Amino acid sequence: MTLTATSFDWVRQVVHRESAIVLQPGKEYLVEARLLPIARQMGLADVGQLVDSVRTRPSPENTRRIVEALTTNETSWFRDGDPFTALTTTVLPALQAARGPAERLQIWSAACSSGQEAYTIAMLLEDAMPNAGSRVSITATDLSREMVERTRAGRFSQLEVNRGLPAPMLVRHFSRASSEWEVNANLRRMVTATECNLAAPLPRMGPFDVVYLRNVLIYFDLSTKQAILRRVRSLMRPDGWLFLGAAETTLGVDDSWERVVLGRSSAYRPLKGA
Amino acid sequence: MTVFETAERRRVGDARPVITELIDGTTVQSIAEEAWISLVGEEEVLVPLPAELPADVLSSWVDVVGPWTGSVVLTAGRQTAEELTRALLRESAPEVLEEEDVVDAFGEIANVVGGSVKAALPGQSALSLPSVGTSPEVRNTADVCRIDLTWRGEPVSISVQGALPALPVPHDPHP
Amino acid sequence: MRALVIDDSRAMRRIVSSILIGLGYEVRDAGHGGEALDVLNEGWVPDLATIDWNMPVMDGLQFVSAVRSNPAWRSMTMMMVTSESEHTQIVRALAAGAHEYVIKPFTADAIRDKLALLGLLPQEVVL
Repeated sequence: MTLTATSFDWVRQVVHRESAIVLQPGKEYLVEARLLPIARQMGLADVGQLVDSVRTRPSPENTRRIVEALTTNETSWFRDGDPFTALTTTVLPALQAARGPAERLQIWSAACSSGQEAYTIAMLLEDAMPNAGSRVSITATDLSREMVERTRAGRFSQLEVNRGLPAPMLVRHFSRASSEWEVNANLRRMVTATECNLAAPLPRMGPFDVVYLRNVLIYFDLSTKQAILRRVRSLMRPDGWLFLGAAETTLGVDDSWERVVLGRSSAYRPLKGA
Repeated sequence: MTVFETAERRRVGDARPVITELIDGTTVQSIAEEAWISLVGEEEVLVPLPAELPADVLSSWVDVVGPWTGSVVLTAGRQTAEELTRALLRESAPEVLEEEDVVDAFGEIANVVGGSVKAALPGQSALSLPSVGTSPEVRNTADVCRIDLTWRGEPVSISVQGALPALPVPHDPHP
Repeated sequence: MRALVIDDSRAMRRIVSSILIGLGYEVRDAGHGGEALDVLNEGWVPDLATIDWNMPVMDGLQFVSAVRSNPAWRSMTMMMVTSESEHTQIVRALAAGAHEYVIKPFTADAIRDKLALLGLLPQEVVL
């Protein structure tokens, strides 16, 4: 056991602050088991060192990884389904009307984790429009190289495909690959995965018609939130659409966005002249 | 001679694969880990640490019949099997476990692990209902993929083993 | 809402039932397809049936077909919950009339996610 009481308390406090989830005393082994892979990835010997490292050099990205490792088991497909419903019911028809038939639609799944969001978008568009394969390109980015590689591979465990993926979509878009499931090649070709740190200057990408930037901003302080939103906006088309997490908003952070209610969810669009 | 044995057998017209050509221990282990998370508890950890099984063991297994035919066998000490049963039944576990409870719960773990193993094998196969008791014997030592794990410090083994005897070694035409 | 949990393993019936009870369902269970049809014929027609595939007496696929052939039971949503996990098996079950398919092993969250997709979460549960 490498985890001291002080380190465990620090993890408890962070998890409680960021997710409102309470880790009871006695869950030290859970913290150890879930955080050890992150420590190893960072080249650290154990979870104690990981905690020390993040305490002395605060890093929103690493804080986020710690919180996610302790609060979510697997990412869901169609996580909070409303932003995906809005994509096919409102956003796609609007974009198809505004763009020429040969223009490519560019979509960005920012902080893509293991790729469920990017492939959810790919499946929906493949089912909603003919020639999606040649009309759509989806860029999936994450800070973690491991996550980028997982997204690129498009392989998911049995537990992962059970999470919120409708069975008809599973059989239509996936094949068995030993004990896992693999996204079909036509969808994998639509998705390009690369490493990207949202808190630093962004690489040249886009311009994007739609950006999914969900459950990321909550981990950053106000000035970083503002900087991220500004950089994201500079990579978007003027009539593009931004989806944030259900608990996130641009209101009070960056006033150069217009909030649009789409059914049960909402999107943000760059304000003209802002 | 030994070096050429496998190639020789295939040339003799044998299309029957052995399990080690179809699945590896790492895959069986990840299958077992997922079954444990689902059935035993979301925070239950199977550690890839071999330990010696006690004298009094219980096995549960399902048979897989298809291009490869054999059994997926879960073996643990009787007390560990009972502890697994309590973990599955949680608050509805009776004070004193009946043999029937253990057969049911321990068998269901074999069913879930066996279903995933079957799906990882090539081609179509059928799955039997689970059995519980003394493990079927290993018929061909080359046709076994076995992993040894510990759960809550107690040994648990999973053996994916062929049901058919080893094929006869073809006679050497040039003795 | 009502759910009928059909599985030959008592432990598995307990696991699925406790997840559904936790979500606010009234639950009954059956050890195979035949017992489940008895429950329906009694007049207790649930909103949801969770159905194992491999069971003695009457298997899950036969049960799905039997339910499909009776128009009185059309409103019932059928969700396979089974260790049968090949691509072709899922296609067969959907073709026979199952609405959803959960592969064992699953977590409680997986059941909840699928019910959310089907619009069968009795109470608003934050995902």
